[in-house]
Amino acid sequence: MATDHHRPDAFSGGPSAAGDADEAARPRADRPRERCHDPYLRCALYGAAQATLGVRGCCVLSHSPQGCFQLVDAAFGWQDADYTETLTLCTKLCEDEIVHGGEDLLERTILEARDLDVPVMFVLTACGPEIVGDDVTAVCEHVAPRVGFRIVPVLCAGFRGDQYHGTDIALEAMLEHLEPDERPLRRPRSVCLLAPHANCNPTWMGDLAWVQEVLARLGATVVATLTHETLPAELERVPEAEACLVLSHDAGQRAADWLARRYGIEQWCRGVPLPIGFSNTRRWLTELGARLGAASEVERIIAEGERAVVAACRRKGLEQSAFHRAPVAIVADATVGIPLVRFITEDLEMIPRLVCLRSGQPATRDLLARELADLGLQPRVEFEADVYRARQALAEVRPEMVLGSNIERHAVEALGIPFVFRIADPISRFRMVNRAYFGYTGMLNLIECMQNDWWDRYRSRDRRYRARW
Amino acid sequence: MESDRIVFHGTLAELLDKVERGEMVPRLQASHAPPCKFWTAFQVLNGIRHMVPVIHGPKGCTYSVAASYKMPGCEYRGVPFEPTTCTAQNEVDVVYGGEGKLLEAVREADRRYNPDLIVILSCCCSGITGDDVEGVAHTASREVRARVLAIRSEGFGGDFRSGYEDAFRVVMDLMEPRREIMKGYINIIGAREGPTYTEWSQDLDELTRLLAAIGVRVNGVLCGGCTVEQLRRAPSVELNASWCYDWGQKFGDLMEARFGVPYARTGQPYGLAATEEWALGVAVPLGLEERAREVLRKEAEAVAPELETLRRCFEGKTALIEISEFPGPIRALSLARMTQELGAHPIVINLHPYTVKERMPSIKFLLQRGQNPEVILTKGLFALGSFASSSETQAEVEDIARQYDRAIYVGTPLRQPGVPQLNMTTITGFPQYGFAGIRNMARLVQSGLAHASRPRSRLFRQVLYGD
Repeated sequence: MATDHHRPDAFSGGPSAAGDADEAARPRADRPRERCHDPYLRCALYGAAQATLGVRGCCVLSHSPQGCFQLVDAAFGWQDADYTETLTLCTKLCEDEIVHGGEDLLERTILEARDLDVPVMFVLTACGPEIVGDDVTAVCEHVAPRVGFRIVPVLCAGFRGDQYHGTDIALEAMLEHLEPDERPLRRPRSVCLLAPHANCNPTWMGDLAWVQEVLARLGATVVATLTHETLPAELERVPEAEACLVLSHDAGQRAADWLARRYGIEQWCRGVPLPIGFSNTRRWLTELGARLGAASEVERIIAEGERAVVAACRRKGLEQSAFHRAPVAIVADATVGIPLVRFITEDLEMIPRLVCLRSGQPATRDLLARELADLGLQPRVEFEADVYRARQALAEVRPEMVLGSNIERHAVEALGIPFVFRIADPISRFRMVNRAYFGYTGMLNLIECMQNDWWDRYRSRDRRYRARW
Repeated sequence: MESDRIVFHGTLAELLDKVERGEMVPRLQASHAPPCKFWTAFQVLNGIRHMVPVIHGPKGCTYSVAASYKMPGCEYRGVPFEPTTCTAQNEVDVVYGGEGKLLEAVREADRRYNPDLIVILSCCCSGITGDDVEGVAHTASREVRARVLAIRSEGFGGDFRSGYEDAFRVVMDLMEPRREIMKGYINIIGAREGPTYTEWSQDLDELTRLLAAIGVRVNGVLCGGCTVEQLRRAPSVELNASWCYDWGQKFGDLMEARFGVPYARTGQPYGLAATEEWALGVAVPLGLEERAREVLRKEAEAVAPELETLRRCFEGKTALIEISEFPGPIRALSLARMTQELGAHPIVINLHPYTVKERMPSIKFLLQRGQNPEVILTKGLFALGSFASSSETQAEVEDIARQYDRAIYVGTPLRQPGVPQLNMTTITGFPQYGFAGIRNMARLVQSGLAHASRPRSRLFRQVLYGD
């Protein structure tokens, strides 16, 4: 049963100052807006770069000063792009281009790249050229006949919003600019996957792979993934899809809405938490099974998966003593953070005392409220948290464990919170192999992360006496 | 050597001349892209303890520098986690300006974080819209407990070097006039708390160890983890010395001009002669020459076997030095000097014209000191894209190595030109400066010679060159 406390409008927006206890208690709308922000997220340019760099073999040109190019480089890494295939360029704007405009330089840079063997070039705009009014779209149209690749302008200046907003802008630009001349026939049992990279699992490619594997088992075809290792031809096949799946609670919804409006493509699993933990995975798979007429295969997947998780935990060991009724904070994005609530509550017997999300789209707030009400939980909830607000909330809630990132690991040093399990980017742990959080192996991966960090903290760093050899 | 693979072959002085005349400018925009002015200004200021930046810009610039510099500082240097804040500028701020929001942000930062110093950094957005960051800093400084400074650091406003230099300039506003001289104290200047890999803690540790042995104490490493208090009294030390001539030069000149602090103009302490020069550059002005010479004599005696190893390995060889991109061009020139001292003929490969342009004063200083090594620039240096550059440059360096009898490659593991090779980029935790550096390099060169005939692994080859 939902209580008032669980209604999104009753959620706390968090305190804005250490000494402002009364401020913390005030409802969100009555409180003065915070001005000083220590962000967990990058800007729209970065999110757009993440989305475009998922197109295999493309070229991304950042129309920006060279500092913004470092963001494109970071996005290159997030997409696991291969430097033998994908190229990143920059117009390296200086004062001259800010004063006199950078359109000439943009045109020259595109023409300099004309010999590149790429199918498509995405031109991303940063704050400077958008403020001074460079007409990037016109330059792209003007120069297009003189190059052998398609050019897609993406207007994604950092001030437009955060990285999730940038991903939404880029997905929409891709869909609009690269749609086929003729509308293809709808392909039954086919799906388009959206925004798999908007996920704080540092190896989110593992989640995507699990989804693709499950869809294949259920007899569905993935006509396009927007984006990861996306072939340019896939972009034109998007309208063939019968349905789309948004693989993030942080981005991709705008693209799904666009597909529904433009092509009548239905969105499946909308409003269902992503498949982390037994119940979420069962719910998500069951809806897919119903849509694809593959209910019995879904039951087989669930039975096999649940059996495998139980067997692994029984044989290898599950630290019940660590998890049972432990007061826990979740500090993550909505994509991982919301499904974690049910997973750790139902499967690991933990008690979420704080849910602190880096984002906070309206649908996300509703989804979390429903989940908490259904589970009968009343944790403190923070949306669109920055590092300060997360730390303040942790200081006030004092959980025993934090499911978060390396940022919280450092930030809670003086707070006496013993355990920080690093599951959300950045984790400062190198992973060569992609590890899913979705599905059944995903559950085991999460448990493994948590148990390793638990043991690391448990082990003594000090020696009481010296060895003699 | 295929001449069409070589873009430039001459001396450092000739290269400098070409760069000064505007030649050798890369045609392609994306051929070389170091960070912008904002990033480098932040890098310097981030090296001041309990400093809270209030970045007047969107979130992207802020998270990026926090992830690149703040977090590695916590992991590598063991500094505590402190905030990196911004005004999170949005479209409304861009249209209407954001000075009011900035002032509130500074007040909030002071209240929340209890810092010693708040620095407002402008970004592209606030730079273009013309928000008066200095004015806001001035107003705020009358209201808050912390010192408040501002720096115009919009990314388009200058090259990466101007960010460092402007930040050093701003930091001087924290300094009090030169008063009673702190006898026996110096500052090590020109540092940045990044960490950048060109600035290893272990190198700084070796310098401070050597200084302690001579009887010199360090007021602070500016700005490599220094306090506001150390900055305040910095002009009252006897002397400024630099961990790296290049980065210290501007700061040293500025402090000399404004406060009259003498500056020891010495190069990086690579090898015996440069190390002695560095140490005496500090000791002589402080009246500690005798003690310093005694320390240096003992230290040199202790590394005599390693020096002999280095001489044996380098004597009569051609040293192909290629670390200009990483860990840096000035280190490449310092290594050229060291290998020459050890009896080799140094050739510096791929000293990017961009980097020469940015480091004119330092390079002119080195030329004045008689360092004018041979330089070769290859076509791959100017290739578009990191992969093209990497595979092309490997082939070019192989070609160059074939041209010289008894060549030894001192450089990056990205290449393996088929001659004995020293990996000078490994972040091993061992310093390269001073006597500890001599020990470390002797160990590396022995390993390089002993295993020179081993082939490049298929795994490395395919990852690096796509063969």
